[in-house]
Amino acid sequence: MTRSTKRAVRDGALAVFWLWFGARLLNDWFGGVFVAAGEPFFDPQPVADASTALREAVAGTGVLGEPVGWVANGLGSLSFAMTYLPDLAAGAWLTVVLTIFATIFGLVLAVPLAAARVYGRVTHWVALAFIELIRGTPLLAQLFVLYYALPLSRWFAAVPYLGSGIVPEQAVWVAVVGFTINSAAYQAEYIRGSIEGIDPGQLVAARSIGLSRVQGIRYVVMPQALRFAIPSWTNELVYLTKYSSLAAFITVGELFHAARAAAYANYRFLDLFLLAAVVYLALVLSATTVMEWVRGRVAIPGVGGSGDGRMSAD
Amino acid sequence: MAENRLLDVVDVHQSYGEERVLEGISFEMDRQDVKVLVGPSGSGKSTMLRCINRLTDIDEGEIALDGESIYDMNQNDLRRQVGMVFQDFNLFAHLTALENVTLGLKRVRDMSEPDAVEKAARQLESVGLREQANSYPAELSGGQKQRVGIARALAMDPKLMLFDEPTSALDPELIGEVLEVMRDLAEEGMTMLVVTHEMGFARQAATDVLFLEDGELVEQGPPDQLFEAPEQDRTRDFLGRLTSLHGDQ
Amino acid sequence: MDSVFLSAQPLGDWEFVWQQRQFFVEGTRIAVELTFYSIVLGFILGLPAGVVEAYGGPYSKGVVRPVGVAIRGTPILVIIAITYFAFGVSPAFLAATLALGVRSAAYQSQIFRGAIESVEGGQMEAARAVGLSKLDAIRHVVLPQALRRSVPGFQNEFTIVLKDTSIAYAIGVAELLKRSYDLFSLQTSAALEVFLAASLIYFVLTFSVNRGIEVLNDRVAIPGGNY
Repeated sequence: MTRSTKRAVRDGALAVFWLWFGARLLNDWFGGVFVAAGEPFFDPQPVADASTALREAVAGTGVLGEPVGWVANGLGSLSFAMTYLPDLAAGAWLTVVLTIFATIFGLVLAVPLAAARVYGRVTHWVALAFIELIRGTPLLAQLFVLYYALPLSRWFAAVPYLGSGIVPEQAVWVAVVGFTINSAAYQAEYIRGSIEGIDPGQLVAARSIGLSRVQGIRYVVMPQALRFAIPSWTNELVYLTKYSSLAAFITVGELFHAARAAAYANYRFLDLFLLAAVVYLALVLSATTVMEWVRGRVAIPGVGGSGDGRMSAD
Repeated sequence: MAENRLLDVVDVHQSYGEERVLEGISFEMDRQDVKVLVGPSGSGKSTMLRCINRLTDIDEGEIALDGESIYDMNQNDLRRQVGMVFQDFNLFAHLTALENVTLGLKRVRDMSEPDAVEKAARQLESVGLREQANSYPAELSGGQKQRVGIARALAMDPKLMLFDEPTSALDPELIGEVLEVMRDLAEEGMTMLVVTHEMGFARQAATDVLFLEDGELVEQGPPDQLFEAPEQDRTRDFLGRLTSLHGDQ
Repeated sequence: MDSVFLSAQPLGDWEFVWQQRQFFVEGTRIAVELTFYSIVLGFILGLPAGVVEAYGGPYSKGVVRPVGVAIRGTPILVIIAITYFAFGVSPAFLAATLALGVRSAAYQSQIFRGAIESVEGGQMEAARAVGLSKLDAIRHVVLPQALRRSVPGFQNEFTIVLKDTSIAYAIGVAELLKRSYDLFSLQTSAALEVFLAASLIYFVLTFSVNRGIEVLNDRVAIPGGNY
């Protein structure tokens, strides 16, 4: 396959995924627009029947029947997926919420952290200590500290409307806090790297036209540095999508949690975890695809690292 | 005469995708010949060299070493018999000067460690680098690197040495030491095919100069004849431009 | 385990942590072992995978690449869960080692591929020009340089694997975080102290590994640097 057909296949698959995911969420939030909330869009039973029928038809035909057996297995998996995907969709929604909130809030914290790390004097050490401590300890331990050791959960419980309608309950917000703090430390490091990659002459030139130091950082250095950091953000989105699964351990009903709950109900661990893996993969590919697009949109002509100049190498 | 023939290049065509690089090159080399390929950049000189040790494959034509087609030979055997010196040295960055030379001796010629070291040391001495045997490439000057590159190729006892612009990446003051090694080599009777812009070297050491342009061999002859009385207008133009650019060397 | 039950009487929370230090030490040992075996497994599988990605033909690449993409796109929690619950690998320590090791291989292959591709093409060409076969050229010329260049990448990889051993908590491996959780359920008032203590140990480990790799990187550097 050529590069462009691969890309078309990927975009097509993602389009199907999001069409389904969007329809699923709308349907379930608004109490069953197309079908009853939480019910499959199409009845999986006929597919399951077809699978069983095929399998019975070729039973005992030996090697000849094998390819038909594969089709039967495929149909079996399909009917299974159709049955449980609605459950996983609800979990995937929380995965998306966690990822997006943590990335955005994390960015808001990361920009000043990075600036302090590079340009600060006292704040340099504060930022450095925060970044290194967070990056040097496991995310799951951080979540446990927030959830079990601090009264965050109780504070969130006091906030009105939390947990009602489509507003997620308090544990989700504890997780958002945890992922935000974690992500801020990583994003600060990415941005620091990009700031240091920018010619110091840029800041000197900014000062020479009369901008203050902070203005120079704000209007000249950061706009360039943030563009350079985009490839790292792609990694960060991917990282958060995957590691948001850890929220399952502080009772958040995200994608992994949903798959595990379903698996305990029917003991089909392999099928459900593989199904979850496929959904994670779709989310991860969506993240990289979107970031690719963003990178193209904000590219500065002639500035390396922002266009797709590097891609010509392969 | 026939047993003195080392290399036959017959009607060689080569292209990269759409771009035709060599369009029917033919020449031959006898033992102890020193032939210099000159021509504007992009004329196919380097590609011609790389075809001879099969770093690049040809589309059409025939290349024979000692009367045997290079495509009938084992590729690694061929390369053992044909030494190559690169423009940007390509010394193995993780190995000392000595180890650069011994690697091929040990892995290709299956020499024992002591034998390989002894031979490599002698080879380095012959290019004036006894002192630098244990230095790593990054610790050597450009001229020293290139002399290691030459020693590395010579250690394999090649029948033919290919030089691909061996002095183009060097600072001007370092060119002399490399050319001196090459001149000595020519005097000792090594068969050499050299791509270079150093016309002084061509005048002094070459038995023949070959002028390539746009993938064609425009003219060849002894340096005196080619430089003083070129037959083709294209040769004259090229030499004229070269002289006005670099002065007569 | 005995000491855990003895400690049921009320104690100051930091006192409690100190009293259970042996329990933490054991957990640390398991976390370190898990990291070590996973990295080794990751190396054994990841190096050939990286070589294939750099030099392989369309078929070998066609297998290795998509497998790598799928593994890197799946949360380690899901990989651990599949290994343990779905494939039934037991004991849990082995399941965690396999899961972390295979995932690490998928990332290490990228470290090695990048390092191999960063070695100038001229190195391969010169090795071939001397008469080395392609395999010999990879082995004696490209890999020795690529492996050196891949050392900094291992800082990240070690840190990630070390921290992710905590996720083996999900299948009950008695590593550091699992033990902390057990202690926390014994004395819930000590939640902060227990989890901070565990975090501190993780931090000391990652910090030491990072410094250690920096030292290693200086040790294996080619004198004069790369040219």
